[in-house]
Amino acid sequence: MPYSIHGPQAATGGKGSRMRGAELWYLKEIFRGMYVTARHFLTNVFHMADMPTLQYPDEKPNYGPWLRSRHRLMKREDGTPRCVACQMCSTVCPSDCISIVAMEDDRPDVEKRPETFTIDLLRCVYCGMCVEACPCDAIRMDTGIFEIAADSREKFVVDLDFLLNNTTDGVKP
Amino acid sequence: MAKIIIDGKEWEFEEGMNLFEACTIARGGEKLPHFCYHPGLPVAGVCRMCQVEIEGVPKLQIACNSTVRDGMVVNTRSERVENTVRQILEFHLLNHPVDCPICDQVGECALQDQYMKYGLYETDVDVGDKVMKHKAQAIGEHVMLDAERCVLCSRCVRFTEHITKTNEMGIFNRGNHSEVGVAPGLSLDNDYSMCVVDLCPVGALTSRDFRFRKRVYRLSSVDSVCPGCATGCNMRIEYADGVIYRQKPRTNLAVNEYWMCDQGRLLYKHVGGDDRLEEPFVREDGELSPVGWDHLWSALKARWEGLGESRRLVLVGSPHATLEELYGLKSLLADAAGGRVLGHRLDGTEMDRDDGFLMAADRTPNDQGARRLGYEAFTASELHDAGGEDALLVILDNDLAGLDEAAAEALGSYGAVAYLGWRENATSRVADFVLPGLSYAEKDGVFVNKDGRAQRFFKAVDGPRQAREDWRLIAELGEIFGHTPTWRAHHDLLSELSARLDAFGALAGGIGEEGTLLDGDSAAKEVERG
Amino acid sequence: MAEIAWALGKILFMLVFVFTVLVVMIWGERKGSAFIQDRIGPNRASIGGVIRLGGLVHPVADVLKLLFKEDLVPGAVNRFFYTMAPFVVMVIALVTFAVLPFGDAIYLGDKVIPLRIADLDVGILYLLAITSLSVYGIVLAGWASNNKYTFLGGIRSTAQMISYEINMGLAVLALLLVYGSTRVDAMVVEQGQLLFGFLPRWGVFLQPLGFVLFLTSVFAETNRTPFDLAEGESELVSGYNIEYSSMKFALFFMAEYASMIVAAGFISSLYFGGWQVPWLDTITLREHAGTFLGVSLWVGAVFNLLFAALLWKRYRRERGLLGDRRELEPLVLGIVFFILALVCLGAVVIASPWNLGEQGAAHFATVVQVLSFILKTLFFSWLFIWVRWTLPRFRYDQLMKLGWQLMLPLGLLNFFVTAAVVLLAR
Repeated sequence: MPYSIHGPQAATGGKGSRMRGAELWYLKEIFRGMYVTARHFLTNVFHMADMPTLQYPDEKPNYGPWLRSRHRLMKREDGTPRCVACQMCSTVCPSDCISIVAMEDDRPDVEKRPETFTIDLLRCVYCGMCVEACPCDAIRMDTGIFEIAADSREKFVVDLDFLLNNTTDGVKP
Repeated sequence: MAKIIIDGKEWEFEEGMNLFEACTIARGGEKLPHFCYHPGLPVAGVCRMCQVEIEGVPKLQIACNSTVRDGMVVNTRSERVENTVRQILEFHLLNHPVDCPICDQVGECALQDQYMKYGLYETDVDVGDKVMKHKAQAIGEHVMLDAERCVLCSRCVRFTEHITKTNEMGIFNRGNHSEVGVAPGLSLDNDYSMCVVDLCPVGALTSRDFRFRKRVYRLSSVDSVCPGCATGCNMRIEYADGVIYRQKPRTNLAVNEYWMCDQGRLLYKHVGGDDRLEEPFVREDGELSPVGWDHLWSALKARWEGLGESRRLVLVGSPHATLEELYGLKSLLADAAGGRVLGHRLDGTEMDRDDGFLMAADRTPNDQGARRLGYEAFTASELHDAGGEDALLVILDNDLAGLDEAAAEALGSYGAVAYLGWRENATSRVADFVLPGLSYAEKDGVFVNKDGRAQRFFKAVDGPRQAREDWRLIAELGEIFGHTPTWRAHHDLLSELSARLDAFGALAGGIGEEGTLLDGDSAAKEVERG
Repeated sequence: MAEIAWALGKILFMLVFVFTVLVVMIWGERKGSAFIQDRIGPNRASIGGVIRLGGLVHPVADVLKLLFKEDLVPGAVNRFFYTMAPFVVMVIALVTFAVLPFGDAIYLGDKVIPLRIADLDVGILYLLAITSLSVYGIVLAGWASNNKYTFLGGIRSTAQMISYEINMGLAVLALLLVYGSTRVDAMVVEQGQLLFGFLPRWGVFLQPLGFVLFLTSVFAETNRTPFDLAEGESELVSGYNIEYSSMKFALFFMAEYASMIVAAGFISSLYFGGWQVPWLDTITLREHAGTFLGVSLWVGAVFNLLFAALLWKRYRRERGLLGDRRELEPLVLGIVFFILALVCLGAVVIASPWNLGEQGAAHFATVVQVLSFILKTLFFSWLFIWVRWTLPRFRYDQLMKLGWQLMLPLGLLNFFVTAAVVLLAR
């Protein structure tokens, strides 16, 4: 077999240079294979409901509470952002998608708050480290919204207002 | 000399040396944990962190308040020392609000660093509620005080007492309620007030200018020299993403020690200021209009050739320009087209006050450098006399018109004025050609301070897109006026000038960390050469 | 004139049959592969947002899409052959049907209309001749496309077809010996008898080895997995049809299925009795026509009712799940099945007892036999799909080794042994 690059071993299916009987025809294995596929086929025809496929746009997967979905910013009781612009999230962010500009707050017990808080959802890798890092529980990734689509890149850059008014609509009851 | 053993190794130090410094050397530069010790301030010994074990002394001693004696055996790393330090740190943190998220000190906070290094305990002390103190008080134009974060190291108090001798700050109340603050009726408004921000090991004193603007761990820094006055304080420019956020003093015991004035710190605001020259301008139909470089060069060449057969070049340097630029200007253009170097500054302009500490009366960084290159002061009448319809005046970063009205009038007598600088001013407004250069933070260079000390500074950020390095502009001008420079790169300038001019021979071997004294070293060199 | 009309009618029947089965096969390929792989498969295309038929609408949608796509012709091709290739492939796939008998005959009084398009004496040889032509289409496509992948695909296909045609010929030759005729219809008639009194005298029982050889060769001839090296996505992108788009590509695609249906028809005709209903010869069928019709109508009614009930249940269960008109599908289909059940029941009630008469009985038998042929063909069409989703593709050297070193000797052996047996038995 001059055209074989693997030697006789490989050229005969790894079973040595000689095969015998029905094996030579691949017949036994063919029938076994046909049996397996037929079994799957018939099982699925008669038990279609048990198929593992999720009819995605019609049925939504329930990922459970551990899903890291689109971010939201929490509010204080008076509606202002809980965030104190400490930049922990933007510091820990591996994709550098959070940018915060801090400003001084007049309330003496707050002192510092974000002037702008933008997340580039296209850069975000949804690792959830910002949530881990946040000392004030101000950022969460529990909206349950994982279908993030827009028709321009700019729309993926979400700002403070958007994040504060984000809903948890995506969470399954 | 005293032989002492530190951590099992024998050292020789001078008798009476501060043990803290000795330990720092013995530990390979790693300082003992401390809050209150500062080499520029008198020892207070209040923080109790720099505990060491001295053989023969039953109790642990603080290193900062001990001196080196012959035969001393010191242990800085024993378990006993570490336990003690951990417990003292715990005391320090008892009333600390731990509001790191909103504290600007994060990243350069001694409490944070030392907790991560020596602390990391689960606290055993339960003292109920923390003592609440005054937060976020603006105690001066530039300084914010948060008394809760304070560890009462008294560095700021000692600074105002011994360095500025203004005595604004003090520690008030007693025990658990001790609180740092300014004396009633006073505010921290001396010229060096921001030094307390550097001194403060924690976030108690923070800069109002820098407040909440950037996390310090996001900042990069380069070594630089303050261009604010003839003292030439060493400093670091701290920047991020092409924006300068602050300037901090860099220790140079020969010049500014550890300090720096507030004015110098805030000079960086001019770099990103509104009055930057960001594009080349050419006066067309009486109006300065922004143009591209190609247009400017061709217009300048046309104007120069249009000045007639007797055209000549008059040059004005600047005490603000770097040594290299001044040398380039002089060596290149003085030879070209019958150039005449008028000088570097107007004579008799008003000087500021010398405060006897760091702020010099001369608020220019490179007067000495210019003088040593042969530039001299000139008067407005000299400027006028040198003029004429056939003369082209090239001004290097020098606001002649803004300083003196007579000089402003004298500018009118020239056929054309080319201004090369980085800030818009009265002179740039009357010039016919404006060539935007770079600021001190955007280029490398050398300044010579009032003591004749040459000091290097380095580029921190990029300048405006259209601005060019000044030495390149000078080289371009040379080409226009018919003289090709012998230097091709920026470092060629310094090596050429140190090789050619005896006054700068000391720079041949490079400029040291602390700068190089031109006089002392050149004298020594001459002896060597002789 | 009537002859021509009948011939045209038979051709029309064949075309309708092929293209209907083709659509079903494309659907079966997609849906079947999905079920074999535990997927759901196509189910999105719909008529009016209601009827989806488990994806059966998809092939229609696909063909519509391909019809309206731009017919791109690459710049460097040989336009004439490039355009001709898909037609060659399609035409050859279709004309093979000519000699295939899909039923016994229609008896109109004393007029007998045999149910095959061409009444050729050479029958089986025609099959061999035409199938070997089909390689031209692929080689033309590969060469005219002026693309190295298509060219390689065409070359592979040629070598493969030449190799396996010999084996196919040998298997068919052995059949000729057994049946003593080259006419396909004669062979089918032969298979209507019983072997040892209980086994249908099918080719597969007379020529088991020949059947395996024929089946394997047919897979190779139709370029189907495990012998689809002409396409070989992993090496040749898509083989000979890379440069084709829109309807030209669709022609290649459909021709592949058409040739599979033809092959399935030949397998059933040569080895599985063709239109013969096992154990029920034409005479028996005619005698008991009324009984069979009654029973099948009853069975039809029961099954239709069952389907209707199941679909009603499904409608009740899934209502509100999707939130749009797709939910109505089980209801609509259920009603259709219910009406069918009513029709069956009505037929049972009104026409009972059934007396079809002699003419009617003959027609009934013919219909049943045609149905038998269709069922067998459908099964072997499904076999092609089934095998495709079971077996991996051969490596080229394995393919050649199998063809020349194993199947050729076996084919020869089969031929000579058969010849000897036939000679001795005579």
